[in-house]
Amino acid sequence: MSANRKHVLAAIAIWIALSLVGYAFAFGYVPTGLLLKGGASVQADVVDEAYRLLTILAVPVFTSVLAVVLYGLLRFRANGEPSDDGPSVRSNTPFTVLWVALSAVLCTFVIIHPGITGVNELRAYDGEDVDLVVNVQSARFAWFVQYPEHNIKTSRELVLPVGAVTRFYVTSKDVIHSFWIPAFRVKIDAVPGMTTSVVATPNRTGEFKQDVNFRLQCAELCGVGHSTMSIPVRVVTEAEFETWVAEQTPINKVGE
Amino acid sequence: MATLVAMSNIIRGLVFAGVGLGLGIALAILLTGITGEPLAEPAIALGYLLALIGWLLGVGVWKTWAREWIGLTPNGANETGWNRYFSFSTDHKVIGIQYLVTFMVVFLLGGLLSMLMRLELIDSGTVIMGADLYNTTMSLHGIMMVAVAVATIIGGFANFMIPLMIGAEDVAFPRINALSYWVIPPVVVLLLLTPLFGGFDSGWTAYPPLSVINANGQLLFLLAFITFGLSSILGGLNFIATIVMLRAPGMSWSRLPIFVWSVFSAALISLTATQVVALGLLMVVLDRVVGMSFFAAEAGGDALLYEHIFWFYSHPAVYIMILPAFGLWLEILSHFSRKPVFAYKWVVGAFLSIVGLGFIVWAHHLFTSGMQDFLHIPFMVMTELISIPTGVVFLSAVGTLWMGRLHLKTPMLFALGVTFNFLIGGITGIYLADVTTDIHLQDTYFVVAHFHYTMMGGEIFAIMAAVYYWFPKITGRMYNETLGRVHFWWMMVFYNVTFIAMFWVGTEGAMNRRVADYPPDLVTGNLIVSLAAFLLGASFLVFVYNTVSSCVRGQIAPANPWNAKTLEWQTSSPPPVENFPIPPVVTADPYGYGEADSEHARFEPSIETSPAGGGD
Repeated sequence: MSANRKHVLAAIAIWIALSLVGYAFAFGYVPTGLLLKGGASVQADVVDEAYRLLTILAVPVFTSVLAVVLYGLLRFRANGEPSDDGPSVRSNTPFTVLWVALSAVLCTFVIIHPGITGVNELRAYDGEDVDLVVNVQSARFAWFVQYPEHNIKTSRELVLPVGAVTRFYVTSKDVIHSFWIPAFRVKIDAVPGMTTSVVATPNRTGEFKQDVNFRLQCAELCGVGHSTMSIPVRVVTEAEFETWVAEQTPINKVGE
Repeated sequence: MATLVAMSNIIRGLVFAGVGLGLGIALAILLTGITGEPLAEPAIALGYLLALIGWLLGVGVWKTWAREWIGLTPNGANETGWNRYFSFSTDHKVIGIQYLVTFMVVFLLGGLLSMLMRLELIDSGTVIMGADLYNTTMSLHGIMMVAVAVATIIGGFANFMIPLMIGAEDVAFPRINALSYWVIPPVVVLLLLTPLFGGFDSGWTAYPPLSVINANGQLLFLLAFITFGLSSILGGLNFIATIVMLRAPGMSWSRLPIFVWSVFSAALISLTATQVVALGLLMVVLDRVVGMSFFAAEAGGDALLYEHIFWFYSHPAVYIMILPAFGLWLEILSHFSRKPVFAYKWVVGAFLSIVGLGFIVWAHHLFTSGMQDFLHIPFMVMTELISIPTGVVFLSAVGTLWMGRLHLKTPMLFALGVTFNFLIGGITGIYLADVTTDIHLQDTYFVVAHFHYTMMGGEIFAIMAAVYYWFPKITGRMYNETLGRVHFWWMMVFYNVTFIAMFWVGTEGAMNRRVADYPPDLVTGNLIVSLAAFLLGASFLVFVYNTVSSCVRGQIAPANPWNAKTLEWQTSSPPPVENFPIPPVVTADPYGYGEADSEHARFEPSIETSPAGGGD
């Protein structure tokens, strides 16, 4: 049994060491894409924080199994043809119960936070008044954005004032598309016969030319033009937005 | 001439199929003549339906089966020699090989398509093909690999091994078993013909309205998928009946090899869930061919409805794929660690929990679909609960190899590879079960990387483990161990580079999936993915060379090269037609490693035998 204890302690040491390496990656001491970066909306902060928390929890889970496999490869390796047997251990009920209990606790934790709390944060504006409404129409393979309060409509770009709580009403004229702005971390399908909606609050300025994540991209396969069904997104100051609105040609009648 | 004799069943099937096709088209001409509808789609649908029936009758259903329906004597004798692989054989070992060879070919073709996709995606802009062809290539890759994932283990390995492992002579319904294989060639032919009919650009998910308004190739896809579903339903039925009824005397449920449990669990899903997707696909066919409007909003239909029907099958379907892979993984870990499967009964419970939970998580594919908001949290909760039984399977894996005698033969290397890969696949699944993170990650390369970690890193690695593990049993020859290890390390390294880089492309560049083109900023990541993918693809050259050359020139295999205890190793390699010259009587479970005098089964000619499950 003491041999087993020695093995267990060694594996735990490997586990801790691997976890530290994992965290070095996760927290950016080593440059990787392990975390989401460059969010540009209030909602993106919620998503990125959830992603960060899941990563914090995932690292030790990943390294625990990895530690056993690596240690096994180092210490339990046997050569020759398979004939000599290992110990006849069929189960270890206390350890199994502990494992299941721990995974249940972890699972419940993740369900509550960031699970349910995250959903509630993203829905904070359900039924509330917002600062700006944008109607987004999709059709193979273009986006039309219409600002009902300003009586303008364009398919060239989506311009938004920073800080404005913006509700997008999304519709489709033909097949299913999906409204996605990567920098805002918001996505909702455009479904024929339905109006779907999503709220985003841009919290910093930016544009597609500097950051590829500032784009309104179709995220649901819709046919031959799917990959290029994308328009630039530009988040500007309130004053710049007013200027931009004034430059647009008003549509004669408000769209549907 | 000998070839012609061997192919006579196939030729008869093709002739009958041709007659059926002609009749179907004639019928379509007649009907559209009356109604004035366009001819193409009705001609394809009716022509295929009658061609399928003709093919099945010609290839063997008439000779060995249907004759008795009208009072004639069927010719039920199985062919021998090479002919049997081209015949409507009812021997489960022949059918297993038919499945394995067919799906290995489909797998390699599907892999070739992925190479074309990665070539197109190596740079921004058009490299080798336009978006239309890319979409068809991507869609074909998807459905072919899904078919490989569903059918290779259950149709191939389970067919060959389950009767052996439970000590039976064959499956419960040998003719249904043959039928479930012989509907597969039409599926493959239909899929390969789609590019000639304008291709199909809706992926393997075929969401309407896109799948209703696109080219005729889509109809071929739908008919192929429905036919494949029929095969899957019949297979599920057969394995449930076989495992319930035909276990050898003494083979109680708690003595079943864990692989048998995993196939049993998967068969429960494939029998029940597949019917639902067949219905959904049929509704799309009717929307296209007859002009119904189940999914057309402008005529009162509902596009979202299809997504629910589709995923009601297609999420459980991933467990049809992965549960048998779990079984293989634990089975091989046990025999090559020379230790019992750890926490066996917990694992059985975990498998059955996954079957149950698997049915009530489908809408996690729909978090961004516009379905009602109140559904998000329940489906997130159900989905995350699956991590608990999956954790039990991992507990079993690490518990099994802990303190074992690890023999790192090729099958064991692949099983350890599953441990690593599926771990990444499982953990990244949590990010997609969480509504908040899924809203962003849905339909990005993060998802592509995730499901390749489960389906390829988990299941395909398990399939590779099984190919090497059972190669001696199936072919009677040993594979080349050195080449096997080269294949493993080559595949493992470049597999991980390819798909880790894909996660990065999905999160760092927010690249969405199923795109033929992407902004120039994302070139670096895609270049890494493409180059690694080519090297990953090349690793299969080693695999093909090793398996093909070992089939011909490999050393003659002994009955039990791994000194394993399960029943399939207690008969000759390859096994005789009747499997066991003397039927086994099971006396203990097959995991008695480290126990003195442990014996899984006894072979004594005097003992009166009747199947454990059969009362009469």
